[in-house]
Amino acid sequence: MFEVLKLPFMQRALIGGEFVAIIAGMISPILVFRKMSFMSVGISHGTFAGIALGIFLGISPLWSAMAFAVGLGLLIGFTSRTGKISEDATIGTLFSFSMAFGIVLISLSKGYHPDVMGYLFGDLLAISSSDVYFAGVILFVTILWYVFRGKAIVYTTFDEDFSKIIGIHVDLDYYIFMAITALITVAVVRFVGVVLASSIMIAPAASAKMLSKKFSRIVVLAVFFGMISIFLGIAFSFSLNISSGPSVVFVVTTIFLISLVLKWIRGKYGSKNVKMV
Amino acid sequence: MKRFLEIKSVTARYDGHIAISNISINLELGKFHVIMGPNGGGKTTLIRAIAGLMPYNGKITIEGVDAKRYRKENPIGYLAQRGAQFYDFPLNALEVVEMGRYRFKETNHIRKEKSLRFLEEVKMSSHANIPIGNLSGGQQQRVLIARALATESKLMLMDEPLTGMDPRTQSKFYEMLERLKEEHSLTIILSSHDLGFTTAYAENVFCINRRLVPHSEAVKLLKEPEVMKLYGPNIRLAKHYHISSNESEEKDV
Repeated sequence: MFEVLKLPFMQRALIGGEFVAIIAGMISPILVFRKMSFMSVGISHGTFAGIALGIFLGISPLWSAMAFAVGLGLLIGFTSRTGKISEDATIGTLFSFSMAFGIVLISLSKGYHPDVMGYLFGDLLAISSSDVYFAGVILFVTILWYVFRGKAIVYTTFDEDFSKIIGIHVDLDYYIFMAITALITVAVVRFVGVVLASSIMIAPAASAKMLSKKFSRIVVLAVFFGMISIFLGIAFSFSLNISSGPSVVFVVTTIFLISLVLKWIRGKYGSKNVKMV
Repeated sequence: MKRFLEIKSVTARYDGHIAISNISINLELGKFHVIMGPNGGGKTTLIRAIAGLMPYNGKITIEGVDAKRYRKENPIGYLAQRGAQFYDFPLNALEVVEMGRYRFKETNHIRKEKSLRFLEEVKMSSHANIPIGNLSGGQQQRVLIARALATESKLMLMDEPLTGMDPRTQSKFYEMLERLKEEHSLTIILSSHDLGFTTAYAENVFCINRRLVPHSEAVKLLKEPEVMKLYGPNIRLAKHYHISSNESEEKDV
């Protein structure tokens, strides 16, 4: 088993995957508490159009996906903040368009594109060193953002009006948050695919939220659940010879279901017998 | 009368419609002012305009300084309309009060210590570690008052803070506000559509229904059969300032 860890593609998958789990775990509680879970679905599907654009133009899909995802994230933010349209309605409209646009571009591109399936459902073998570096850079950016704006973003999530009153630049923080979420989504997509990215972006925090009522602990738990899911998902993927994306999603969903059962037990037998974290 | 807050010809829109029109009023320092008026009459809009949470035409000055400039240097204590937003948010009462200390450069230890003191002032220090969503509506309001006090603002804005509270809780709430007003030399502006306890505690009441309701109309409003039926014949308008043509006129009823 440990021989497997010596394989370069496995090392890239594990190191990059754990980077992705940490950044997803850091951002996901904010998405969940802002009731913006659907946002990651929208951006991850929007990423597909960016990837297709890269393939169509013959440039790196990573750069085009990044540009498209950040653009889409800011557009969703702008329309929902200024147009009095809910984020869900904006995302619902734009993500279908992004998929349609991506498929049209792929259809118009010449030749066979094996990358596309990897981008849709994740492919361990397709993870390059540049994907790992990209995940590392995004992790660094996310940690910096947490250090400098973490408290402000938690306060804004809790009470936007009061945050404005105490001098937090709520709009600026919101757009930075949208841009970072978009970048994180691009990093996640490379590892678990467009279709399954939202699972690793949301499920760890949704599970953690059921087990703790302290924000910092929820973040730690979400990161931990994400890391475990990536590790076990990759291990199952390799040993059972199945695609890595679905394998990770199975583990994430299992953790979610276990958390649900623990929450149910806690509700049934009271908080005195089953302590929260 | 020592003027604290001056509102001059303020007009504001909500959702493209004029919510308040050409409102001018002066409010005195250290008093408990109540904005009365029907639902949809613009009370929330006026409170939010004073708080700097929505754009407006006209001029608002606080202590003689333009409100926008004043707010940059002095955060305003603000309580929004009660909502369900806190049900599952993982912050405890103490962490919520700490929000009010955001602008202060102080160590974590001092921030926590001061926040706990503000919780004590609203008799909630024993609930410091309880998640805000696990507290009752009345307790949540007290924590939010502690948060507003933590900003060390001299102006406290409250938008219908008593909605859904039973009369006993309302009475206790007002008693606590009176005490805090004296202890912290606060100027309180509270909006309410409930004439019940509000007028008993207020030192100045003014009515708005998109515009400032003239004093005579406000008195007439209290004599409406529906109001009389709801609150009895003893309800009265304590004081009413109506500003027109830059002249202030104070009347007792």
